[in-house]
Parts: sequence; C-alpha cells; structure tokens
Amino acid sequence: MYVIVVGGGKIGYFLSKRLVQEDHEVLLLEKDRRRYSTLAEELGDVVAQGDGCEVRMMAEAGFARADVVVAVTGDDEDNLVICQMAKKKFQAPRTVARVNDPSNLAVFQKLGIDTTVSSIAIVAADVESDLRSIFSEGH
Amino acid sequence: MADSNGRRVVILGCGRVGSTLARQLAVDGYAVTVIDSTADSFRRLGGKFKGTKIVGNGLDQDTMRKAGVEHSNVFIAVTQGDNTNIMAVQIAREVFGAKRVVARLYDPIRSQAYREMGIVTLCTTTLAAGLIRSTVTESSECDGLREKLESWDMDYLEQVG
Repeated sequence: MYVIVVGGGKIGYFLSKRLVQEDHEVLLLEKDRRRYSTLAEELGDVVAQGDGCEVRMMAEAGFARADVVVAVTGDDEDNLVICQMAKKKFQAPRTVARVNDPSNLAVFQKLGIDTTVSSIAIVAADVESDLRSIFSEGH
Repeated sequence: MADSNGRRVVILGCGRVGSTLARQLAVDGYAVTVIDSTADSFRRLGGKFKGTKIVGNGLDQDTMRKAGVEHSNVFIAVTQGDNTNIMAVQIAREVFGAKRVVARLYDPIRSQAYREMGIVTLCTTTLAAGLIRSTVTESSECDGLREKLESWDMDYLEQVG
C-alpha cells in the first residue's frame, strides 16, 4: 500500500516509522524546514518537505496513486482541507484525519472524511469509564 | 441607523477586510456580529460601531453559538488563513444551518474546488490580478472600473474613515 502522511509531529513520525517497518510505501510530508531536516536524518527518503495543502505539492507527492492519505498536523482546519482536497482533486480512496477538538469529530465525518481519530476523545472516554468503575466499586 | 429587520450577519476575522465590511454592513442596517481571536483587532471597528464583538476561536463551535450563527442569514469568513475560512464556513453550514456562507481565500485552486462544493468563495489573488490586468490591457472589462473603484473608496471614507 502507498500511504501518504501529512504532518511530521510525534504522531506522523511514529506512524511513518511503523508503516515502513511493515513494508508499506510511505511518504511523510512536513512543511517546516527544520523539522523536515531532523526527520530526514532518521527516516531518509521517506520524508519530503512541502505544504500538504498545496495542490502542486500534492500532485508531486503522488496523491493520485495513494491508497490512504493520513492528515495528522496539529491544526484541524489543515487536516480537514488536506483530506477534502485529496478526495476532490485526487480521488483518494481513503482519508484519515486527526481531530484535535473532539467536537469536530461529527462534522468531519459529515464532510466526507472516512476515518477520524481524536486522542482527546479516546483518553476522555477512558477516564470516564475509570471513574465509573471506581464509583461503582464503592457501592 | 436603519432597522436590521432580521438581517443578521456574522463575520469571522476583524482585519482590514472584516472590519471594513462590518462597519459598512452595520451602516446598511444589518445586525452585525464580528468574531476575532484578539480583542485588540476590534480597534479597527472604531468607536461608532453598533454591532457585537466576540473574542474567541472562530472554529470553536461554542464561539459560533455565542455569536448566534444559527440565527444568522449570512456567515462570512475573512481571516488570514484559507483553511480556517474553509473550515469555518463548513461548520456554519453543516452544524448551524447557515444558509449563505462566503469565504475569502488566497489560493485560487482551493477557491475553485470549494466553489464546486457549493460554497461562495472569493479569491482576492485572482481578483486583484484580474482587475490590474484589465487596466493594463485596457480591455472592455475595465469600462467603468475606475468609477467603481472610486465609489468604493469614497464609501469607505464617508462611512468608515
């Protein structure tokens, strides 16, 4: 599978590393030059420098033949536009977006993003169920 | 000031464009609410602005609710960020049911793509370049252009300046 990951923060870095280990073809796009250099030192050719919201960059990165596009930048608005443009302009079969503000989960799904992931929503659900079990044990 | 008569407009972004638009629409009799992430931006509205000012992140649904997007006829996004404007108008439309949404963008490619998805987009890059080009080539498109531009500037000076 060809997976394009946009955003080279911690999530993008560990995800790309893992996908490479699993023998997938991976491209990690990072906008910031300094962050790109750090990533490239470790991951090599897998990393490219550029703005994943720019259609020219998307074309160069091969969005047209990507099986999955994963947008994991720290900004919800960027993740949304990356996935929507990947679908609209490059017919990406599958898009995954990181959602920082959990209240955006439903909107993103409504707006055509295939998979949405919110670490905050996951942790919050976990904490809630922990609290519930603590309280129910008390009874 | 004319009666707003139920004509409510929410503007996200109080920069030069947002503040000018807000002041003009308020003079035209619209009930205007402006959202910006920094309170300092509201100084551009001047002391006579009768509308509502909301400090907050325009992509936060709580801010949009506070600004009354669900009771508004039009939602306009004119921040410096194309993606912020694109996301804001989609939330306004999908979550709060705003009937008319307008996004100002810099990237012509995104402008065309989202126009095809039914959002009114206005790309100021191609708009300015196109207007300047028609002046240079002296095409018939620029007939009356000078007068139009002059009247917009005069409106600004009268209502805002």
